[in-house]
Amino acid sequence: MAMQLERRLGVPVNVINATGGSGVTGLTRGARSRPDGATLMMMTVELSMLHWRGLTTITHEDFAPLCLLNRDAAAVFVRGDAPYESLASLEAAIREADAPLKASGTAQGGIWHAAVAGWLDRCGLPADAVTWVSLNGSGPSLQELMAGGLDLVCCSVAEADALRASQRVRCLGVMAAQRLPTAPEIPTFQEQGVDWAMAGWRGLGVPADVPPERLAILRDAVAAEATSDEFREFLALAGFDHSFEPADTFADTLAAQDRLFERVMTSEALGGVAADAQGGLVFPAAMAVLLLIAAGTAVAFPGASPATQPATEAAVAWTSRGFLHALTVVLAVAGFVGLVDVVGFLVAASGLLCVVLIRFGTHPLKAATISLVAAGAVQLVFGMLLRVPLPRGLWLDG
Amino acid sequence: MAEILTAAATTLTDPVVWGVVVAAAVYGVAIGSMPGLTATMGVALFVPVTFWLPPVPALAGIATMVACAIFAGDIPTTLLRIPGTPASAAYAAEAHELARRGQAGRALGTALIASITGGLFGAVVLMTLGSRLAGIASLFSVAEYFWLFALGLTCAVLVAPGRISLAVVSLALGLLVSTVGLSAVHAEPRFTFGIPELLGGVGFIPAMVGLFGMSEVLRNALVLPGEAGSPAEVSVAAAQHAEAGDAAVPRISTALQQLVARPVAWLRSAVIGVFVGGLPGAGADIASWVAAAASPSRRDDDLDQANINRVADACTANSSSLAAAWIPALVFGIPGDSVTAMVIGVLAMKNLDPGPDVFEKQASLVYGLYIAFMLANLVLLPVGLVAIRAAGVVMRTPQRILLPVIVLLCVVGSFAINGSLFDVGLMLVFGLVGLACDRLSIPVGPMVLGIILGGPLEERFVQTWIGGRGSLWAFVERPMAAVLALVVAAAWAVAMARIVRRRFATESTHG
Repeated sequence: MAMQLERRLGVPVNVINATGGSGVTGLTRGARSRPDGATLMMMTVELSMLHWRGLTTITHEDFAPLCLLNRDAAAVFVRGDAPYESLASLEAAIREADAPLKASGTAQGGIWHAAVAGWLDRCGLPADAVTWVSLNGSGPSLQELMAGGLDLVCCSVAEADALRASQRVRCLGVMAAQRLPTAPEIPTFQEQGVDWAMAGWRGLGVPADVPPERLAILRDAVAAEATSDEFREFLALAGFDHSFEPADTFADTLAAQDRLFERVMTSEALGGVAADAQGGLVFPAAMAVLLLIAAGTAVAFPGASPATQPATEAAVAWTSRGFLHALTVVLAVAGFVGLVDVVGFLVAASGLLCVVLIRFGTHPLKAATISLVAAGAVQLVFGMLLRVPLPRGLWLDG
Repeated sequence: MAEILTAAATTLTDPVVWGVVVAAAVYGVAIGSMPGLTATMGVALFVPVTFWLPPVPALAGIATMVACAIFAGDIPTTLLRIPGTPASAAYAAEAHELARRGQAGRALGTALIASITGGLFGAVVLMTLGSRLAGIASLFSVAEYFWLFALGLTCAVLVAPGRISLAVVSLALGLLVSTVGLSAVHAEPRFTFGIPELLGGVGFIPAMVGLFGMSEVLRNALVLPGEAGSPAEVSVAAAQHAEAGDAAVPRISTALQQLVARPVAWLRSAVIGVFVGGLPGAGADIASWVAAAASPSRRDDDLDQANINRVADACTANSSSLAAAWIPALVFGIPGDSVTAMVIGVLAMKNLDPGPDVFEKQASLVYGLYIAFMLANLVLLPVGLVAIRAAGVVMRTPQRILLPVIVLLCVVGSFAINGSLFDVGLMLVFGLVGLACDRLSIPVGPMVLGIILGGPLEERFVQTWIGGRGSLWAFVERPMAAVLALVVAAAWAVAMARIVRRRFATESTHG
């Protein structure tokens, strides 16, 4: 989509992957970016889920939707050699097992977890009938399934393509209203007697306050590319389901999803899942203990024998001039961080270099020349060649 | 057989392939040698270009770029003690030590040869054993991964210069820093003090650039000789010139001789690289540390030779791991690392569906890929040599001009990965931390690896714990996990022994 938009709009379109926090990091960055139409957000189903979990205050109302791009229905997978023939036999196994079966597909509270929790709820099973192990997505989950660490995995069909083809995993059912065109041999949950469907989705949006003229331009451009043959082909090749909705329909969908997940996320199925005994402070506490033990050992067993150490530099005395050198560097970098958004990269970087060069003893004129050349080179290489978004400063921005 | 030869002929005579490979090599070297820029970023920027390329050149480009970037990361590591990539951090101390003693040329020559031969080994393994090796991934569940990461961290402690107890201090600090952000698995904010940028945790790139790069700059600034032309500066400049002269001559033949003289060490390192690299989620950086730890440091060898050996072993491992990372990607569609995650996307776009029968269904394409891997490592030789000579220019620049430029590169490098100024501030803070560590003789390598692996380690711990429903037995009940646990225990025993031995050695010298 970025590549296609770049061609259509005639400006570089860079994809920034702001990972972490079950999507909160990226979501926060997208919602809080400047509403000038220069930052688009890939909105996913997590947008409808995260705020119900209390992880963020950002909701779909913080965005102006552009369009929906795709939906991927959830599906349940078991290992190729597992004894479950169908969804029904898996359900029976869950019901009758002495110890809960283990499942994953994403982190706790993620979309696939919600999908499984909802399914269990429909079957009248308690939420803890299955132990959900939080893994970082479908890839690690499927690998864990193959390694025997899990009994079932929930994720989209596309993500398990290669493993299905090699029969390392089998799909027992897909949580969609109809069979998927890309995998028509997989029965739906509906067909197998379970009235339950759930899908992840992806769409594009911008922060809510983008001016209307820019919004219109973006909506048209995105809609044109999203419905293009090229994009459809790409989705088909990669196994994704194509599901386009223009801005207004998408807005309705967002509202509906928000209501759906209010029910799901606060339901007993997910809310009742007991947090495991391992709280977030156990690991840091253990590390702090390790630190104390190590520091204690270091103090108690002093005197390293010189022969076993590489010849480290003798601790040369710090001169006061040296101290000022170092202080200049620190202050210059701090100054850069503070001013770069105002004056732009080129000026700030030149300033940084110039100050430090002069302090270190270079003649001011030579310093200024080197600074401009070096900063300019960096701007060229990083800003243009590598397309790093270097700050442009208030006076260069439109 | 005929298919292989046809594929080879087609690939090797295709000018597009050559063009892409050479361009990717130069690009990879440029990216790898700049602190803060990773191979991942390089590939991410290259992916849009692959849309217009046929499949074999596209994949060849990626393979070349990564192979060259991993080697190029050794250049700033050796000359400036700033790791260009996290994998180089494992031997930053040894490599820079060699440069300080006028052996930069030898070090870089060794790194180059080790990278090339390691990469070729990895390519050959991919070719011959690829699909069968994929099976190893299915032995590794979360418990095994926990012990693997623990092993990597233990190796960082064993490898670090100086006292083990201080290395453990460094490791513990790194692990503590890694807990900042969203808690593993439960994604609850932890130690973020309300700062939204910290929700993603402390980035390891700003930390690494700060701990190694900025702290080195500050360290040198504090003892910078006087104004231009003063006697102190002249002598430093003369020393630099001597080093620079040496850096310009990488001494390939010597490096080759040494390689041939230590076949077991080379093979061991290459196998470690392939094994670790072939596991999804474990890549060049872990391979590098484990191989460095496995590198024996015989005290009767002269210091330079021991350092050279360690550099050679670690470089071999981190290069052989690269091709192996494609195995789970090709066979299972499961990425081995972030680069192969993008490769899977490119594969899909080129209609090369991952799966065990990819080797049969798309044989000619796959063989073209193998040839591309070989090519990538061979191209590394001339490109690497040119890069090393170019780096000699760096060494001839007087410190008072070089240091400020490095400051700028550190700033831009830590900004580039996320476009975040907060990361630049982090880098500065870690620069000061690194300076303090240097003063206290605390090695910074374990801290960096702690920051990188702390999150994954804790995740695997919690996942195994949850899966085992609170039973510690879950950590060792699987056979592979038990074996790895024993290896980790053995490594710690070695570490403890070193502390005890040192204590008794001190006592006997004082007694």
